[in-house]
This record gives sequence, structure tokens and C-alpha cells, in this order.
Amino acid sequence: MTAEDALFARMETRSIPAAAVDWDAVYVQQLPGIYNFFRYRVGDGPVAEDLTSITFEKAWRARARYRRDLAGFSTWLLAIARNVAVDHYRAARPQLPLEAAASVTTGSTPEDVAVRRSDLDRLGALLATLAGRDRELVALKYGVGLTNRAIAGITGLSESNVGTLLHRVVQDLRARW
Amino acid sequence: MENDDKFLQEFRRDPPAGYARRLRETLREQEEGAPARAWRPLLAAAAALIAVVAALFAFPAVRAGAQSLLDLFRVRSFVAVPFDGARMDKLRALDRDHAAMMIFDHKDVLQEPGPPVVQSSLAAAAGPAGFSVAAPAYLPAGLALDTVAVSREGRARLSVSASRLRDLLAALDLNDVEVPAGLDGQQIAVHTLPVVIQSYRSDRHRLSLIQARSPEISLPTGVDLPRLGEIGLRILGLDASEARRIAASLDWRSTLLVPVPTNASSFRSVTVRGNPGLLITTTKPDGAGADRRRAGTVVLWTEGERVFALRGTLDPEDVMQVAESVR
Repeated sequence: MTAEDALFARMETRSIPAAAVDWDAVYVQQLPGIYNFFRYRVGDGPVAEDLTSITFEKAWRARARYRRDLAGFSTWLLAIARNVAVDHYRAARPQLPLEAAASVTTGSTPEDVAVRRSDLDRLGALLATLAGRDRELVALKYGVGLTNRAIAGITGLSESNVGTLLHRVVQDLRARW
Repeated sequence: MENDDKFLQEFRRDPPAGYARRLRETLREQEEGAPARAWRPLLAAAAALIAVVAALFAFPAVRAGAQSLLDLFRVRSFVAVPFDGARMDKLRALDRDHAAMMIFDHKDVLQEPGPPVVQSSLAAAAGPAGFSVAAPAYLPAGLALDTVAVSREGRARLSVSASRLRDLLAALDLNDVEVPAGLDGQQIAVHTLPVVIQSYRSDRHRLSLIQARSPEISLPTGVDLPRLGEIGLRILGLDASEARRIAASLDWRSTLLVPVPTNASSFRSVTVRGNPGLLITTTKPDGAGADRRRAGTVVLWTEGERVFALRGTLDPEDVMQVAESVR
């Protein structure tokens, strides 16, 4: 059983007929969060687009089996996205070698960096140096825009733990920015 | 806890519009009724062409000559027309949701077909379809029927807008194409008959078989069909001489033109169960995002009164073998 099958198997049986759902609206509402989740999680560019596509296609294939309230749809979609990200890292080498991150923090003046790289590239390189869990927390917080409480509900961490970890990560990134 | 995190917040971006649009189209193929849209990129272009040509048929000057008789378009054969995919992107951008509506300003839905309804079996689909449903006798290993759905009959009347057509021609820089006088407000009627959509699936592949009696488009008769078809072909991006040559060589009452993007597809004429057909192979286009995985094969053919389309991620040889087994 795949991770998605397990998710679908846990779905409840109450509720909205698939035909009654405005999928256009759902798509418009959910796309930015999932897309940005992957941008923070794996980096900006085509890989984030591909993983976003995979996530939505998986969700859409099974949406007829999705019988919970639509408010829960975003949580379900996010669970699929997290699994897609995990699969991506299992299957692929890191998109950015660690040496690339070193160039962000050493050997260049701020002016040089500004000339060579946009802020997006710089932050992407910094994010690539984070451990998987830390990067996922950043992606959930800043990519999806979740509260610490919502992140705690998704990750199984306590809310205070999420806050502490995020604080530490952000301070670390800030120091190297 | 105070985090100075503005630099992180500013990393957020909206998805690129083109990417968001392409992904939405991919997802629509999975929605109810969307199995029929598995070949949407091709047929959307064909529909736009038909609509353009059909609208031009509603020219009152020719109606006078035709008295009250109506001409009727039915699909009997297919012809591929290579065209620059960038033109279709531009047409889509001009009217993102309903490319065919860009020359109409009013649509009366006389009979709403509603979304396709999933049926319990092929036999059960025969009732709402109004015919015995054909199915492949051969399937490559692993493929099995996933769903069968039926889209019901629909009727609509469309009102032509000359100003919209002028805007469209101007937007496409087709300054040498004249809009026929008296076109505005003319109506055409579209009658779609039940469509049966079978979806097959394996771990690695998808296959959809779509069958229906041909849709019918009623329009005034007696017109210079090749001339009007030529205008439609110009809208699709063909140059003047090529459009004229193709338009003059076709039977516009029975031929469905299938625009094939030159940068992503190849096509050839085939025979399916003794009937002429068209095989289109969609290659993986350059570029990122949702388009990357959209490779596959489509074969279109007619048999008697029925139109078939078989589309899958299989090799062309396998798709043809399945098509030959449909009975």
C-alpha cells in the first residue's frame, strides 16, 4: 500500500458529493500554498513545479474518494505533498551541493553576492543547507502559511516545539543572510 | 518570540500563470466528464476551428441563396493540419476558458448535457448512450477497465459577434482577412449526442476510449465553404497560400480538421478496421512543469455513424492494436 493509499483509506465517509465541489475554486485556493511549499522544500524552479503537479494529480485522481469536508481537503493535499517531497529526496540527489551553500557564506563580499545572485538564489542556497525536518517546518510556515498550531497538528510535534525549532532555524538563516 | 523573518516571507511567489493554466487543464482531464478531455489539447483547437468556420457559414448574403435550407456538418473523416503551437497558446490566452466562444457573444443552452455519469458496466452504459457500446477485445497486459461514463445529449444555439471576430483577427495581426458583412447576430445550432467514455488503467499506463455519434452543427447553406474554411485556417496560424490550398481540397461538411502542434506531435493516416483514421503521436515538448509528462498517442476514426477516439500513454503500435480490436 502506498502512502497515498494509506491516506485515502483513512478518509471518512461523510459528506460532499464530488460533483457538487467547485474544483476550479479549490484549485485556485490550494495551488499557491502547495507550489510554495515545494519552493521552500526543494527549491525554486521546474522541480517545484513538477512536484506540485504530481501532488495535484494524485489528489485529483482520488478526489472522488475524498468524502470529508472541504476544509480538510487542504490538510489532505498537504499530506500528499509531504509524501511527494519525501519520495523526491529518496529518488534524487540533493538539487544543490553543499559546496554551493558555502559560497553564500564564505569567500565573497556582499557586493559580489549581490551581483552574482538574486535574493531568491541566495535564500534557496541557504535553505538547501537545512536538515530535512527544519526545511519542512520552514516550508509549512512560510510556503504554505500555516500557524505553529497547524504545523504541530500535521507533523506530530508539540506547538511549543514547533515554535522553538522555527525560531532557531530562522535565527540561523538570518545570521547567514 | 520575535523572528526577523521578512526575508523568508519575501521568498513566496505566485505560481507562473502559464504553468497554473497547464496544470489546471491536466486536472480537468481527471474530473467528472473529463475522460473525454484526454485529447482536449487537440480537440479544443479543432472545436475552435469548427466554431470559426461554422460561424462564418452564417453569412446572410448566402442564406438568401440557400433559402431556409440548412447545411449540416457531421464528422466523417479527419485531416491533420500542422500548426504552430504558439498560435494556440495565443488563442487560449485571448479567451482562456472558451476558445470557441471568442467569436460568439451569446449562447443559449437548450438542453444541458450535465456532467458525465459513471455507469456500473459497459452494458449499463448502453441505455443512456442509446447504442450498444463497443469495447476493445484486446488490451495490453495489466490494463483493465477502470470506469465507464456517459455524457448525455446537449443542444445549444450560438450567436455570432462580428466585432469579436474583428477583435480576434486584429489581435492575431491578420490584417488582410476581411470579416464578412452582415455576420453579426447570425446563429448556428450545435447538437451533441451521448458520449461514452471508457477509462483503462494499469500501474504504468492509461488508456481512454471515447465513442459517440457525430455531433451535428446546423448552419446556413450555399456558402463558399472553402473560402470560409480558409479564414478559419488563417486564424489557426496558417499562411495565406497554405490556408487557401488546404481549404480548397477538403469537404467541409464532413471533415474534422485536427490541428497538430508542429513542435510536439507527429501524425499519419491509418486504417482502423477498414476505415480511414488519423494517428497522432504527442511527443514530450520542451519546457517545464505539467507539460513534461504529456506524451501519448491518439487515434481517431469513424465507423458507420460513430466517431471513435482512443488515447493512451502506450506506444502507437499498441494503441493501434487495441483500436483494431474495438468491436
